[in-house]
Amino acid sequence: MEFMHTKLDNGLVVIGERNEAAQSMACGYFVKTGSRDETPEVSGVSHFLEHMALCKGSDQRSGDDINREFDEIGAYHNAFTSTEDTVYYAQVLSEYQPRLIHLLTDMMRPALRNDDYEMEKKVILEEIAMYKDDPEAVAYWAARELFTNGHPSGNSILGTTESISALKRDQMKRYFERRYSPGNLIAALTGAFDWDAAIRQIEELTRDWVPFDVGRETPELKCANETMVVQNNQFMREHLVWIWQGLSFQDERRRAADLLTAVIGDDVGSRLYWGLVSPGAANSAIMSHCEQDQVGMFIAEVSCDPERAGEVVRKVQNILKDAVENGVTEDEIERAKQKAASFIVLDSETPMDRLFWLGMAWAYLGEYIDTDEEVNRRLSVTKEDIDALLADDPFAKGTLLALGPLETLDI
Amino acid sequence: MSSLDVLTHTFSNGLTLAAEIRPAIRAAAFNLLMPTGLAGDPSGKEGLSNVLSDLCYRGAGDLDSRALSDALDAIGMQRSGGASRIAFSFGGAVMSDHLERALDLTADIVLRPALDPKELEPVRSLALQDLASLEDEPRRNVFIHLNRAYFTNEYGLSSLGTEESLQSLTAEDMAEAQKSRFKPNGAIMSVAGRIDWERLKDAVEARFGDWDGSAPALPQPERRADGCYVHIEQDTQQQHIGAAYAAAPLEHPDIYVSRMALGVLSGGMGARLFTEVREKRGLAYAVYAGAASLKGMGYVQAYAGTTPERAQETLDTLIAELKRMAEGVTEEELERARTGLLSSLVMGGESTGARANAIATDLYYLGRVRSLEEIREQIEAVDSASIAAHLKEFPPENFTVAALGPRRLEMPE
Repeated sequence: MEFMHTKLDNGLVVIGERNEAAQSMACGYFVKTGSRDETPEVSGVSHFLEHMALCKGSDQRSGDDINREFDEIGAYHNAFTSTEDTVYYAQVLSEYQPRLIHLLTDMMRPALRNDDYEMEKKVILEEIAMYKDDPEAVAYWAARELFTNGHPSGNSILGTTESISALKRDQMKRYFERRYSPGNLIAALTGAFDWDAAIRQIEELTRDWVPFDVGRETPELKCANETMVVQNNQFMREHLVWIWQGLSFQDERRRAADLLTAVIGDDVGSRLYWGLVSPGAANSAIMSHCEQDQVGMFIAEVSCDPERAGEVVRKVQNILKDAVENGVTEDEIERAKQKAASFIVLDSETPMDRLFWLGMAWAYLGEYIDTDEEVNRRLSVTKEDIDALLADDPFAKGTLLALGPLETLDI
Repeated sequence: MSSLDVLTHTFSNGLTLAAEIRPAIRAAAFNLLMPTGLAGDPSGKEGLSNVLSDLCYRGAGDLDSRALSDALDAIGMQRSGGASRIAFSFGGAVMSDHLERALDLTADIVLRPALDPKELEPVRSLALQDLASLEDEPRRNVFIHLNRAYFTNEYGLSSLGTEESLQSLTAEDMAEAQKSRFKPNGAIMSVAGRIDWERLKDAVEARFGDWDGSAPALPQPERRADGCYVHIEQDTQQQHIGAAYAAAPLEHPDIYVSRMALGVLSGGMGARLFTEVREKRGLAYAVYAGAASLKGMGYVQAYAGTTPERAQETLDTLIAELKRMAEGVTEEELERARTGLLSSLVMGGESTGARANAIATDLYYLGRVRSLEEIREQIEAVDSASIAAHLKEFPPENFTVAALGPRRLEMPE
């Protein structure tokens, strides 16, 4: 593996991790903009804009052209929007590098034509409706909104039927002009690619891109501390989501937090598994650690029979209390490390897999971390590191949201 | 293009080992496939296979449930597998240093599961909860109903079972099924990753060599010849539409002609379904068609999710596009589909887990593993004439459609 990086005159950063043994390459544009950078009146604009760029064309290409050309080079391609980032990415056989870079770079200057905008709005409204049929997604986003207490990291990615219906094309254009500065983008390459050719081509294609200042407001997160029950009779199961304050992407302790959540709430072999799933009290119980720009969250998600929800909540509380009071064992930590090591290696096999590790580390840390180093950093977490996290009692203050048939929770 | 060879060896008990050696990779993925799945569950015991799969992890060999789980976690094994209609699979992925230990534990799980009656109750409870969760997962649920409508024998059964069938399962059922159906003859152990072939062969023989016997053969799948429409009334936000129709079986010599036609229909974002349903009409966020296979039988499953007011237009457009395939494809469409297949042949092979599964699939359906060159030649040989001829033999028609949501739809024509 060889790492390379450069910054073009317009501020666009290009990074690459070359793997000569690969048979393909991946390329992506990481834009540091997401729903947390939206005001309420344009809620959902980052994600809608991502659709427009991905499928609806630039000044030189129609939407049909873009879709067709990606197919002509046999690309796996897509895009996603989070609260933090908008990422456009693709993987192709290396012979298609020039065409891929041309396409992806062109996508970063979308035309936002009116007819296309109105047509894609229908698709976005369908996507919103689709997620309304998914109780885990509904509960998760309601829980984030409750916990973040007005902080933008709780902003919905999709927006609402109302916000998207009311959103005007000009508002999207203004958002684009405020956020898609070359200095707020990173172009990343992985797999078997030609670095010099890539730089020349990207430089040429982005010569006219004018840089401007882009910021991100990072107010302090004053998290809520409450329980909310949302009755929704569309759903048969009770879906419970807890959130507590965690560590940010920039905080080195996030890796210890990650291992702690695996001990407590991995999908198999964890304390939540043995306490809830193995005896059949809940059919799913997991805890994860969500790392974001300057903020982080511990999130636990459980689904169960509504009649057992009260019992399940008490069990979760006891499991957490026990972890804080008595700590976790060396054996548990060791198993969590082994699982993390396998996951990292297996999740880094293809150029596309590596692209996300590479892009995120550079976007938020300005750091290159190869797969071995990523594994080593997990393996070098100590019991003391995890004890230190538990000593702060991370689960003392936070929120619980219950969504499903129940009107109240018996706890 | 890689020209990695897949090495195979069949042991005297009928178990076939197949491995692709990839020295540059640190991990190894493996899968033990036994060719008897839920289509072999006894009458009235729908869902047995799924419950048995879970139960096998609750203690095996000398290890109780927790010790077994801890042992798997101690080597960081990512577990995979489960019961499908046609097979039980037990497998996972580990750093290659841990492969032999993973095989130890897998041999215990398959050959010496405790099947403790005390563990059956929580597993049953979880199965009942999964069944109840279907109501909250309309997109998954619509395919369960589609399957029930499309197949006329055991293949229409749901892996999740029914409340009644799950309640009827006994510890004896579990023991009997494990004893009679977990058999080596015709089973496949596929491995991909950093491995030493001779050592792997010895390791598999040491753990599975004494195993013997054959499982009862599965019935042949049977499906309805005519189309039909099934409606599942539920108060959902979107109407979820699934469709199934016949296509070439995976064993068919022209399988890549069939796959190319499917690529034109739903291969990428420039393919017909995405273009017509989503890009031109904005009817759906999710719309696609994919190949599905059983032994000796192939079919296509299509899906679109849309709001109820636009569900009829979505179904009409979907069916019209499926039928339009019979009119043939353009040269441009054909070339895009070809590039897509050739690319995914290479890019899909970059993950060890995907390779272990692909090897098992080839062995299961064809009795041999195709080389990438052989597949490439088949893809290169497809032209518009062969597609037209193939679609005459397998015209998209007689659609079975299941729609879940508030609105009852009319089948077009």
